[in-house]
Amino acid sequence: MTDYAVELEGVCKSYRFFELQNIALRLERGTIMGLIGPNGAGKSTTIRILMGLVHQDRGEVNVLGHRMPEEQIQAKWDVGFASDDMRLYDSMTLGWHIQFMKSIYESWDDRYAQVLLKRFGLRAEQTIKGLSHGQRVKATLLLVLARRPKLLVLDEPTTGLDPVARHEILRELTAVMVEDGRSILFSSHNTQDVEQISDKITFIDRGRILDSMDKEAYLDRWRRLRLEAPDGVALRALPGVIGIQQTGRLAVAIANAFEPHLPNAYESTGARVRAVENMTLEEIFIANVERSREEVNA
Amino acid sequence: MKTNVMLELVWKDWRLQRRMITLLTLAGAAALAMLLIGGQAIIIGTVFFFVAMIFCACLVPMQNIVNERKKQTLAFMMSLPVSAAQYGAAKLVSTAGMFLFSWVALLGAALYMILARHALPHGAIPMGMILMGFPLIGFCLVTGTALVGDSEGWATAALAITNSSYWLVWYLIVRHVPSLTKTWGGPVAVWTPAVFKILSVEFAIILFILGLTMFLQSRKKNFL
Repeated sequence: MTDYAVELEGVCKSYRFFELQNIALRLERGTIMGLIGPNGAGKSTTIRILMGLVHQDRGEVNVLGHRMPEEQIQAKWDVGFASDDMRLYDSMTLGWHIQFMKSIYESWDDRYAQVLLKRFGLRAEQTIKGLSHGQRVKATLLLVLARRPKLLVLDEPTTGLDPVARHEILRELTAVMVEDGRSILFSSHNTQDVEQISDKITFIDRGRILDSMDKEAYLDRWRRLRLEAPDGVALRALPGVIGIQQTGRLAVAIANAFEPHLPNAYESTGARVRAVENMTLEEIFIANVERSREEVNA
Repeated sequence: MKTNVMLELVWKDWRLQRRMITLLTLAGAAALAMLLIGGQAIIIGTVFFFVAMIFCACLVPMQNIVNERKKQTLAFMMSLPVSAAQYGAAKLVSTAGMFLFSWVALLGAALYMILARHALPHGAIPMGMILMGFPLIGFCLVTGTALVGDSEGWATAALAITNSSYWLVWYLIVRHVPSLTKTWGGPVAVWTPAVFKILSVEFAIILFILGLTMFLQSRKKNFL
């Protein structure tokens, strides 16, 4: 058995106006990975490939030890998938959907489904068309979670939800992880949601993976240094710094490989370090995307 | 033992569409009942009977296949442990099953009206059988296009082509097979070689469309 719940290696997929290029991704069992990217970055295509819904042109895809798309049926027994463009049958009740899922999955946990119904404020006898957007998302997640899948693949599940509904869903996802060996791949363009629950974060933009590492490593390695340069001196980017913006004497340096000696290194060039600040995941994401786009355009 | 997901998908479709199928079958049966009135009602009843059949051939694939993509429930279905080919096969079985339920019931009812109630002369049976093949072929074409074409546009185009072709095919058959028209008003059903030939061609077309649909569906690389 492989140690990875999801493994993508050298995955490529070409469309007329979009290309997924050489995607390499590894999700260890028992971890939550946030896949962050702007709209049109390739998050959904990547997820569809790993669900076997779109076949890659090249590359290897493994999900829970099964080769995709060839062994998608075996893999899907243990994968719970939900996406923001997934809808349930409008004219049927949530109870009808529950019965349908129960008829397919032996692993269906009735008690957990009842707990989720209560926790999400849903009623089995409600028809889907009578539910609000937030309730529909919760209903879909209920159908996915009560199957007790080993891997959850969620494509922008919190899009369009109010803060309370988002909090409820993220809390439930975190609770799922209490059970050993479960893994979650969670795509979003909302960095706050991803930061809240993920162990590992992958940035994707324009069909390319920009970076992938532990959340803590990102937060440790990325810093913003506020500097004051001597008169007439243009500060340069030292090793570990990916960009520096200077207006007059004031400069801001963004470090993606921050080391404790970096402020001293700037002091030794004559600059004064006014502050060393932590960056939020959103700021790290934007800096990453901007750097990548500059490299591509250069 | 793991559940037979394909069977569950077929059963799910039946539960979703059974009301529509029942209503369409009842509409066809009501049209047939008009034959008992006699006079002009025979023509009106016959026309409405075929309208119900053609309506069924259009509505079943549109509701059962096109709407699944249009209303975005397809992603939910494809999250289940099935491949694209299995999903396609289940859709084909459920859609064809629903249509055939109505088709067989109405064919049986029509034969009953002719043989037991003498609403039409027995000579009309061979032509009736040939005509019953038209909506069946139309249904297969619309179903195949809806399944493989992945868009409402293609399915609508197939609908338009089949619905506007019925009269033309009927005209060509009547014109080129005069033996049919000579016997359709007679008291005995005459099964000429021409009738068997036309029925065989209809059957071959149906098999070809269904086979091609399954072949193309199994080769799909992008499913959503």
